[in-house]
Amino acid sequence: MTVIRLDNITKRYRGRRGEVIALDAVNLAVREGEFVAIRGPSGSGKSTLLLTIAGMIHPTAGRALVSGTDIYGISGRQRARFRAANIGFVFQMFHLVPYLSVLENVALPTVLLPGRLRSHKAHELLERFGMAERLDHKPAELSTGERQRTAVARALINHPRLLLADEPTGNLDPDNSIQLFEYLADFHRQGGTVVVVTHDPLAESYAQRTLMLSAGRL
Amino acid sequence: MWSLRMLLREITHRFPGFLLGLLAVVAAVALYVGLETMGRASYTETKRLMRNLGFNLLIIPEGSDMADFWAADFADSDMPEDYVRRLAQTPGMSADHYVATLQKKVLHQGHEILLTGILPERSAIDAAKKTPMGFSIAPGECYVGHAIAESLGLEPGGTITVLGKELTVARRLLEDGSKQDIRIYAHLHEVQELLGMEGRINAIEALHCLCVGDALPALKQEITKVLPGTHVTELRNIAAARSQTRAMVEQHVEFIVATVLVVAAAWIAFLALLNVRERRQEIGILRALGFGSSHIAALFLGRALLMGLLGALLGFFVGTAVAMHYGAGMFKLTFAEVRPSYDLLIPTLLVAPLIAALAGLLPTVIAISQDPAVVLREE
Repeated sequence: MTVIRLDNITKRYRGRRGEVIALDAVNLAVREGEFVAIRGPSGSGKSTLLLTIAGMIHPTAGRALVSGTDIYGISGRQRARFRAANIGFVFQMFHLVPYLSVLENVALPTVLLPGRLRSHKAHELLERFGMAERLDHKPAELSTGERQRTAVARALINHPRLLLADEPTGNLDPDNSIQLFEYLADFHRQGGTVVVVTHDPLAESYAQRTLMLSAGRL
Repeated sequence: MWSLRMLLREITHRFPGFLLGLLAVVAAVALYVGLETMGRASYTETKRLMRNLGFNLLIIPEGSDMADFWAADFADSDMPEDYVRRLAQTPGMSADHYVATLQKKVLHQGHEILLTGILPERSAIDAAKKTPMGFSIAPGECYVGHAIAESLGLEPGGTITVLGKELTVARRLLEDGSKQDIRIYAHLHEVQELLGMEGRINAIEALHCLCVGDALPALKQEITKVLPGTHVTELRNIAAARSQTRAMVEQHVEFIVATVLVVAAAWIAFLALLNVRERRQEIGILRALGFGSSHIAALFLGRALLMGLLGALLGFFVGTAVAMHYGAGMFKLTFAEVRPSYDLLIPTLLVAPLIAALAGLLPTVIAISQDPAVVLREE
């Protein structure tokens, strides 16, 4: 089954220096359970591609299907709910909420889905990621590796079918980078689909397929 | 529940920013409550001070020659004394403190004096607890004007015989620079008897309310309805002083409160904008996790509402404490009237959060309309 299908996705921006084509008629199909790495130089449109798959950047043209849902054919509210239920997101800068504890950060996405706040699930995940001693710490009190582990735990808390990672090792040392890719690989081994945008050559040893993006074209 | 938890955590995390906004609300509410509380005491104080200026209404028999009246200071015709009882027993009159008088010019040992009979005041039924105005002279006694007392060498405790009736001087009045200096005040019924005018008076002095504006036509209608055949005249200088003073105080208070409210609202809006700017990435990540506009708006508007609510509560008690502390020194006549205005608590608790939320509305709109993709790509 195809989890991601992009048909002729084009994204143009109007800037002060005229029009910029971030994505130029991109076609992509990612099957369920696939681990895909997308590489490319800075400014090639990698982040735009990932955010388009996540339903956060409305393409200028083309169609984006995620798990069979035309994500730009539904309302913003439905898209937000769809994203919360189906997509996990890991960022280079971790983007943890600074005033919430590690446990609260990880449990945060669960408030959007039916049922109660699942702190026990967050607790379990954090234990698995070796963060049991840090549950009540604030992000500012963590090392960069710990922050990224927290961010990965948060991305996985709602059991997404698809995990999107934008330069997840960009701020990590080699050891933590390996550990991060191990977490992604673990998710992949359990049947999850992973799309990672990265400069890190390490990605190629984990990904089943590596794509190159250059000047908005795959 | 999650949003309240997030709200409280965020406030704790960025407490200095929240505190600055809170202080603005506390200051605005405290000023409003303080001024309103002192304003009420000030109103009572002004009323008391104004009352000390004397009566501002005269009710005289219709047909009195006004030229003669102003020359002599009393009407040449008379009316029944019962009129004063009728006025006092009519509920809902906007004038009160009625005092019946009968005045005639008499010669005493070569001196022209104004013999003035005065009945202890009758107040309106609904104002029975008010402190009486004017003199309350016992039968057999009199109050003597300064010029007469000087000419005749009268002192308190002495006696004077007026139209064959001996009266004890109960009080020598201070120099007034008016016709009061040549008056001898005595109980109305004794003066009526001396002048052979039992049951008659030639003026009722009254105190009109402190209403602003030209209320005389309505007042005349009100009084002549109860007392047909009378003429009502207003002592304009006193009335104008009353209404002007009151209007001036009210205008100052309104201006100060309005200015402070606008400044506080602008300050809250500014701080909320800074808060939105500081939390751009947080908004972006919440969006990326699937949080909708209503969730984001709840975080920012909730913050403003909480700031308004806490500020109103603290501001009410600070304003009340300040008014109670300084009021006693400011309002010497009515310091006992400076009381906490508890009736302001509920409106303050409703209005302050509303204004704070309105001030936070634009920053909230900016927060929810922010494109998360732009923020998330900024790294």
